[in-house]
Amino acid sequence: MNYINRAYKNITRKFSKSILLGLTFFLIGNFVIVGLGVSSAADSAKIMARKNMRAVVEYKVDHEKFWEDAEEIEDDEEKEEFYKNQPTISIEEVSKFMGDSRVKVANAITSERVHPIGFEHVLIGNEREENDSNNIMVGSRMDFGGIDGGDQEYIPYVEPAINLKGNLFPNMIEFEDGLYELIEGSMYTQEHIDNNDKVCLITDTLAELNNLSVGDTISVNTRQAADFQHNPDRDYNLEDGIIEMEIIGIFDNKEEIDPSSDNFDWMGASESPENIILTPSNHVLEKRFEFYVADHEYYKNLNPEDEYYSDPDNAPTMEDINRLGSVVLLLNDPLEVDGFVEEFTKTSENEYLILDANNETFLKLAKPLDTLSLFANIIIWLVIINAIVIITLVTALTLKTREYEIGVLLSLGVSKTKVVAQFFVELAIIAVIGFTLAVMSGSMIASSVGNAVLDFQVATSDVEVEDDNNYYYGETDYFTEVSLEDITKNYEVTISPWIIAQIYVAGLGMVLISILIPSLMIMRFNPKKILLNTN
Amino acid sequence: MSILKLENINYSYVDGGMKRQILNNCSFEFEKGKFYTILGPSGSGKTTLLSIISGLDSPESGTFYFDGEDVNKIGLNKYRRNKIAIVFQQFNLISYLTAGENVQLAMTETDNSVPKNQKEVAYALLEKFGIVKSKADRLVSRLSGGEQQRVAIARAIASNVDLIFADEPTGNLDTATEQEIVKIFKMLTEEYGKTVIVVTHSNAVSEFSDLRVKLEGGNLITL
Repeated sequence: MNYINRAYKNITRKFSKSILLGLTFFLIGNFVIVGLGVSSAADSAKIMARKNMRAVVEYKVDHEKFWEDAEEIEDDEEKEEFYKNQPTISIEEVSKFMGDSRVKVANAITSERVHPIGFEHVLIGNEREENDSNNIMVGSRMDFGGIDGGDQEYIPYVEPAINLKGNLFPNMIEFEDGLYELIEGSMYTQEHIDNNDKVCLITDTLAELNNLSVGDTISVNTRQAADFQHNPDRDYNLEDGIIEMEIIGIFDNKEEIDPSSDNFDWMGASESPENIILTPSNHVLEKRFEFYVADHEYYKNLNPEDEYYSDPDNAPTMEDINRLGSVVLLLNDPLEVDGFVEEFTKTSENEYLILDANNETFLKLAKPLDTLSLFANIIIWLVIINAIVIITLVTALTLKTREYEIGVLLSLGVSKTKVVAQFFVELAIIAVIGFTLAVMSGSMIASSVGNAVLDFQVATSDVEVEDDNNYYYGETDYFTEVSLEDITKNYEVTISPWIIAQIYVAGLGMVLISILIPSLMIMRFNPKKILLNTN
Repeated sequence: MSILKLENINYSYVDGGMKRQILNNCSFEFEKGKFYTILGPSGSGKTTLLSIISGLDSPESGTFYFDGEDVNKIGLNKYRRNKIAIVFQQFNLISYLTAGENVQLAMTETDNSVPKNQKEVAYALLEKFGIVKSKADRLVSRLSGGEQQRVAIARAIASNVDLIFADEPTGNLDTATEQEIVKIFKMLTEEYGKTVIVVTHSNAVSEFSDLRVKLEGGNLITL
């Protein structure tokens, strides 16, 4: 007749008392499960929504704050100095991010619209007839003009047809996202970048159209004849703008143009996803730099008295050319984004250089879930506090009626540990049965309560989502757009094994505490005193 | 040879602001295999003495030895579990257990060697004391006072100890039942070789004992 046997006999032979205790645990369990279920569903819905978002952060200069701070400076000289020290992001800084194991890819994109030489660009379907005067601006199908037509001849501006898209780092977010898929060859490597190799990847459509394949060479011109018609004496001619590149890969760009979009009619050929050529940025930037230098020199010679051109500080530098607007980092895990941003914000020495996770919309939209989670957590804590009080009181009252039994057991030499163990087993068995029933009923209640409260929260939510991110030509919005539906669609109350384990562990913990306190209160006396009290 | 030896046991308590010395350098030796009765008027401290020598309470000072070993060194809990058994006036049985289970309880908890077939042994012991199997399977609360006391005695025997204490074991019983219980105690000494120490008011009980001891002035005197 060991303590487990005695516990079992007590439960079965004092059945009505056991039923009442079981009912208490059942009710408490239901409340806790509703709270935990709703809270966990709200949290996991947020996590799911976050996981579905791209793990993207944008490293950029906080221009808004910079200009605001500049406005506050009253002294002109100080203000000028402030402007001169405008913060910029550099490749070195971005390279530090690339060393972080959480960062997968960095897009430090430069875009140069260029003219194809000796190959055709892909048409997008909005091209006008040859005699339509608008086709000098759109369509990009005009022949590449020359400067030999004579001084009086007007050379029309030709819309560049190719987008030379460069990244300062190998790989691109687009490849990771599956938007670009490598079909043949390979992406350029760090070695290509370091060696300043003029290599490129073209789209499969462009390759097919021009019968191009890996190993072939293509040329583009960063300039056109129209650029030289007003200043032909510049120490830079049309041929200087030519870039010859070896095709090392062919990729499929899954991006598509929507012909029903408002600006389709005015779209240039270089905006076509099929007319993108990927290449390391550095040689393109160098080409741009050469032209700027020549241009600066030309105007300097033309206006020797002009202070601006004679000031060496105003001469273009490679640093200016390399200046990045922003760098987009793709992390391995969307759930790491907040921690990554927080870590950077804490350690950053420059308050104008920020990491933007574009979280504002998500946080605003997640507000109903936050409220729901808060509501559930309040319930949990109220229930836990009440449960401890109720179970302790019930146990104390139960043990008080068994003081006599404690005295008898101690007089027989039964150890205090075994006495406590017997009571624990008794209550634990009842609690486990009560909680098990509560798990079954609680999940249904939690689902109904959670859905009702969430519906109410969504209905009364006055969240207004503003897209305050402005993107210019060549820039891509890498942030995932989220809607209230995206976040709430993942809301589903399920009682996970983890929640069930929490219920049992917390419940049995409460049982142990509520048994220990009154038991030790009784057993602090010797057996004679305990038996005398009860007699 | 003594089974229990008391040396200068003192015990007092404060009652209404007055200190009452219950045991005053109480020394005594109980021999093995004898049936002792401790007599004395109400309030003389008989139950207190029994509580101390049965390890339910501790003396203010003094030492007592079981089989020559200091009980404090044995440990009161272990002493109660393995060396002695107590039969109370109120029987002190566990109400939600049957008579048989109450007897088994003593066998389970003791560290002494007990038979493995505890259930059968419990039935046999109870039957020896007049509790048949059908009654042994009843909850003790459904047994008469005399039957409950027999169960309590059977429980005391079951733990295979040499020393059995009884505190007014017949106090709640009628005369006929009292006689039966006393005979059982007598049998325990004669057949089982146990030492039985009974605290009682009853002359009928004391007449059956081998030795009668009186608690007087906080000390034990052999009559």
